[in-house]
Amino acid sequence: MRLVGSAITIAVAILGFAAIAQQTGSGVSQPPAEAPPAPAPPPPAPTNGSQSQSQPQVDESALRYFASQGDTRRVNAEIARLRALYPNWTPPSDLSQLSGSPGAPPPDPLIERLWNLYREDRIAEVRAAIAERQATDANWKPPEELVTALETVEARRRLTNASDTGQWRTVLSVATEVPGLLTCMNVDVLWRVAEAFARTDQPNRTRDVYTYILTNCATPAERLATLQKALLVLPEPQVTALLQFERRTGDTPDDFGTIRDELARRRVERASLDSKMTASADDLAVVERMIQTSGEAGPVLILGWYNYHHNNPTRALELFKTALDRNAGPKAAEGYAMSLRALNRLAEAETFAYEWRERAPENMKIYLDVATALLSQDPPPRLDTQVVGRIVPVVMAQRFSDAAQALGWYSYNTEQIRTARDWFRTALSWKADDEPSAYGLALSTQRLNDRGGFNAVVAQWRSRSQRIADLADGVNPATGRQAVAAQPAVPQPAMTAPPAMAAPVETAPPPAQPRYAPREVAVEQVEAEQAFVQTEENVRRRQTQARSALGRNCAITRNPSGLSADAALTRGWCLMEANRPLEAVNAFDRAIANGSSRTREEAAYGKSLAYLRKNLTSEAAIAAAEAPQNRERRVELGASILTQRALAAYRDGRYVETLHALSERARIVPEQNDLLLIRGWSYLKLGRFDDAEKVFRAVQQTGYSEEAAAGLNAIREVTGQVRY
Amino acid sequence: MTGDASPPKRILPWLVTAILLLTGSMANSQTLSVQPLNLVGTISAADWEAYRSRFVEDSGRVVDTANGNISHSEGQGYGLLLALAAGDRRSFEQIWNFTFTELLIRDDGLAVWKWDPNGKPKITDRNNATDGDLLIAYALARAGAAWQETRYTNAAQKLAKAIGKSTLSRAGGSLVLLPGSQGFGAGDRPDGPVINLSYWIFETFPVMAALAPEYEWTRVWRDGVMLLQQATSGRVRLPADWISLQNGLQPKPADGFPPEFGYNSLRIPLYLLRAGMTEMEWLRALKQRWSAENEGVAVINVVTGQVRERLTDQGYAMLPAALACALDGTPIPEPLKSFEPSLYYPSTLYLLAKSLLGEKYPQCV
Repeated sequence: MRLVGSAITIAVAILGFAAIAQQTGSGVSQPPAEAPPAPAPPPPAPTNGSQSQSQPQVDESALRYFASQGDTRRVNAEIARLRALYPNWTPPSDLSQLSGSPGAPPPDPLIERLWNLYREDRIAEVRAAIAERQATDANWKPPEELVTALETVEARRRLTNASDTGQWRTVLSVATEVPGLLTCMNVDVLWRVAEAFARTDQPNRTRDVYTYILTNCATPAERLATLQKALLVLPEPQVTALLQFERRTGDTPDDFGTIRDELARRRVERASLDSKMTASADDLAVVERMIQTSGEAGPVLILGWYNYHHNNPTRALELFKTALDRNAGPKAAEGYAMSLRALNRLAEAETFAYEWRERAPENMKIYLDVATALLSQDPPPRLDTQVVGRIVPVVMAQRFSDAAQALGWYSYNTEQIRTARDWFRTALSWKADDEPSAYGLALSTQRLNDRGGFNAVVAQWRSRSQRIADLADGVNPATGRQAVAAQPAVPQPAMTAPPAMAAPVETAPPPAQPRYAPREVAVEQVEAEQAFVQTEENVRRRQTQARSALGRNCAITRNPSGLSADAALTRGWCLMEANRPLEAVNAFDRAIANGSSRTREEAAYGKSLAYLRKNLTSEAAIAAAEAPQNRERRVELGASILTQRALAAYRDGRYVETLHALSERARIVPEQNDLLLIRGWSYLKLGRFDDAEKVFRAVQQTGYSEEAAAGLNAIREVTGQVRY
Repeated sequence: MTGDASPPKRILPWLVTAILLLTGSMANSQTLSVQPLNLVGTISAADWEAYRSRFVEDSGRVVDTANGNISHSEGQGYGLLLALAAGDRRSFEQIWNFTFTELLIRDDGLAVWKWDPNGKPKITDRNNATDGDLLIAYALARAGAAWQETRYTNAAQKLAKAIGKSTLSRAGGSLVLLPGSQGFGAGDRPDGPVINLSYWIFETFPVMAALAPEYEWTRVWRDGVMLLQQATSGRVRLPADWISLQNGLQPKPADGFPPEFGYNSLRIPLYLLRAGMTEMEWLRALKQRWSAENEGVAVINVVTGQVRERLTDQGYAMLPAALACALDGTPIPEPLKSFEPSLYYPSTLYLLAKSLLGEKYPQCV
């Protein structure tokens, strides 16, 4: 390639000479290579008076030849012909200088025929006629100018064909061999040569060719096209450098405004993807103008993303809406959904993104992100079952573990613990190293007293997750509330954490152990406990029944259609315990068909769990929608259960779980002072002194100053600081 | 066609001597030999005009009238060869002009093989076809020598070097011609390398050797003969058009092509005859088959032996006639003595056969 490169340098030098020659007037005797042919129909490149001398670039090679032969008759005929074709053309003034001496031999009729054929672009026939003549007369030579003209046409064809077929080395070698092609008459050839340089990793040569064109060639359309090509292959600084050749004066000035605009657009586009890059006000104005003057979506999207990534989601949202109106499709939808999310309008975002989710992978991704964010809101939002019902099948199909985890928390926080457990399991099956899902699973299995499940999670995760290890270390089977175990007894870790005094630190930081004797907080247990026992009793009673005498029945497969609604419900739970969920579905259906509203509610709940167990989540969603769970019921049940858990945990010195239960309870009902105090003491026991202080001060405000003061004193004692 | 006309005129007589020497040396080292043809003047003006007016356009493009009126490097090569045989310098130059400006544009110096007047761009397959390249280089070299035209000789040499550089390949212990520089090699297809035995245009090898002696043309020629013998040693004694050499050297029909002795392979006996390689035993077996069984020339499944299609055009019928003439001296039947052009391909085969007969076996015609 270097050889070709240097030959091109020579060619460019020749062009330099030619350029000078062109500009000083066409009267200079130029080598014939300067005048490539123009066949009888006007050539494709525009040739009408656009040069500085207002001369069309006309092929005068035949004319010069006849003149050099002194063939006045043919000279005149040719002048007439060229004038007819190119009205603005005037014959060169130097023709008479070319004619030979008066005694020149008479012109050869063959030569005239050859020139005619040449002008008709019948090149093969010209060559054939020459060969035929030379067969009979070995000394006969065709005119130099004709041979050169033929070689030039043939070279141009070869170069064009090679360029069309991607044979770049051939393009460059032809250009080297016939540098006469490289003139403004053949801007198309120059462009192809430039492309060949670019394709063979010589972009600087490409730039040189474009520079030559802009320096020497006059047609505005070709000049602009040259810059448009430069935009495609050259780095932007070089394109910008080429702009210096813009001609502002003269008959036909350039207008490179579109090029400048495109460069600005690209700068904004780059900045639109990178929040650390800013675009200049001028550049942004260019894009704004593009938006107004064209109905295109491209610039709207660019500006939309720019605003999104530069902290202006409101404006971004407007722009993406415009882009959607301009049919920008999935890309605009993606931006619109992301902007809604940035504005925290999650429900709208989910609804919108749901419509677009199938259009492209990006749209599915943003839908999943938005759905996860929606579900993960704290406190959990009140979601339409239709919404949950449509999120679930998408999550299942896409196996998106973050959303499964979010569904797990959502279920957990709305007291659907079995469902939560299934979701956390599902999340882990898709992403085995997802610690938050493992934590959720640990909590759920613990809540359900699923010893086997809980131990399995702990065994796998104890070493990788402090909070799961903490949960495990806090478990004390003797004091924990449990239903009658239907499972075989599993040897329990004999951990008896002594309460209060010298309590082991349950979280890693801070290392300081409490060295005090905290007051025992007297807890009002009785009433809460009673209510709790009553409600929980019902559920547990039914489940116990299921495992006992009546439960014998469900070991035998049996058509549930003869059962009463209640019996069918009991049977359904029995079958769930026996892990025969599809049969359970039939039983629950019977209960739904015949039962009271309470029965129906519970049966629908059971049915959705059954489907989840079987991994038939869409059915589960449908089942859940059949008889939506009563929210008040859920809240009431949930609060009671959580209070009990918090108190039990605190008594047993399991402060992490205390806090957790209190937090969950606080999501659904406000936290009263007595529980706030317990919270404060738990923080203190865990060494979270700042949090403890905040809580005690809050209690102090409400009037329990004595209790609060005790807490604050204790903090001071431990940390050695006065906190007033 | 390039600007420089500088290579010395001395090259031409040297070339002729070289061809004769090499042919002689080939003859000494092999039981088979290649006898060069004179070529020029072996086709009558009338026959040539009939062919040319039908199949060659003024632009020099040879038209394959049975194939969408496309042009290809094979057709240009045959056209050049026949124009030379007819002594028609005009037409040779015309056909060369099209070949040079439209097909000889590849970076590696070979010709693109397929040109479609309706294509955009017109070159619709930029791969080369090695038999077309061989024909073109061969015709250029012979024309350059016959007409003292250095342009042709220079172009022939460039092309011969390109063929040697880009289309020769080792397969097992053999040196073979790849049908195209892309797509047929061992790494290019699961059953590669794949070859086409009808691309071994035997008469061209001594000329290639003179033009580009740095490549092992003799080896290619000899290994081709050996592969032909292997490919015709099965139950059905006919070579498939496209052959895979994947299993070491044991040839088998290539995947994706009908396993047929077809339009490609039926040229092989013609090429053997034109190269004077009449001693091959297989030619006798083929002659038996073609004449005795009254089958004529047919496309035959080489696995089952079944006839798929009988080819009745005069151009095909000429092949068994030429074979019978060359091996037994059987005269050419009257109906075959006058040229009745039909389609490009059989008409080409007809003239190639007639040109050979006129030169080497005038007693048969």
